[in-house]
Amino acid sequence: MSSYILCFVLFLVGIYGILRKRNLIKIIIGTVICEYAVNLFLIIFGYRQGGHAPIYSHGADISNMVDPLVQALVLTAIVIGLATTALVVAVAIRIYEKYGTFDITRIRKLKG
Amino acid sequence: MNLRMKKSYSQEPGMSLIVKVITRLTVGLILLYGIYIVTHGHLSPGGGFAGGVIIALSFIHLMLAFGKEEALGRLSKRFVSLFEGLGGLLFLIVAILGYKAGYFFYDWFVSKGKLFSLFSAGTIPLSYLAIGLKVTFGLFAIFLALITIKLKAKK
Repeated sequence: MSSYILCFVLFLVGIYGILRKRNLIKIIIGTVICEYAVNLFLIIFGYRQGGHAPIYSHGADISNMVDPLVQALVLTAIVIGLATTALVVAVAIRIYEKYGTFDITRIRKLKG
Repeated sequence: MNLRMKKSYSQEPGMSLIVKVITRLTVGLILLYGIYIVTHGHLSPGGGFAGGVIIALSFIHLMLAFGKEEALGRLSKRFVSLFEGLGGLLFLIVAILGYKAGYFFYDWFVSKGKLFSLFSAGTIPLSYLAIGLKVTFGLFAIFLALITIKLKAKK
């Protein structure tokens, strides 16, 4: 139970970064921390006490494996997270070229 | 000779001499480790995506240490986009060749090999190779696009 609470604390750290920071790069890092907190939560959710990795290999004990479904899900989530992070960083670079700053309080003009 | 080298190092773009020497030592090892993970994807944890990311990180490492021009001289943009397309195409070809045996993605190898040996598991290592190519050059292309494409600010 405590590991779930720690995952939630990590998620809250990401939320703090998104809401409180003014630098665009720090906001992006906050979203990435949120994403990884959710991934960690899913991986811990699929864990069994004393379980093995769900891989069939030489002399492996296949009696007590952890859940491989969430691991496949999280692998897909990592790939999609990589793509969205690249997209957001590209948008941040565009904003920096347009306004010359990463500070979101100074990005106020919406005119093209 | 020594003096001339020192001068050329200080004039070259990129980071300092220490970073360059350490990079020259470690980049090959990182590349080999990525290739190991891609080729052993059907036996151990990892596979196409994880190994491809490691190989792409070795290229990015090279580019960070030696500067943009040096790395682009070895791996040009056209080369990168060609190999990314080749990875996707190889995966499609492996999938379509399954029709030889009847189904999409069907394992068309006659000999499956021994269990837990490197040359086993039919078409899965080929698919991992294709995914590794695609991820390697796709990630490197993202990095290149973020670095090199300069949009003119209207001011």
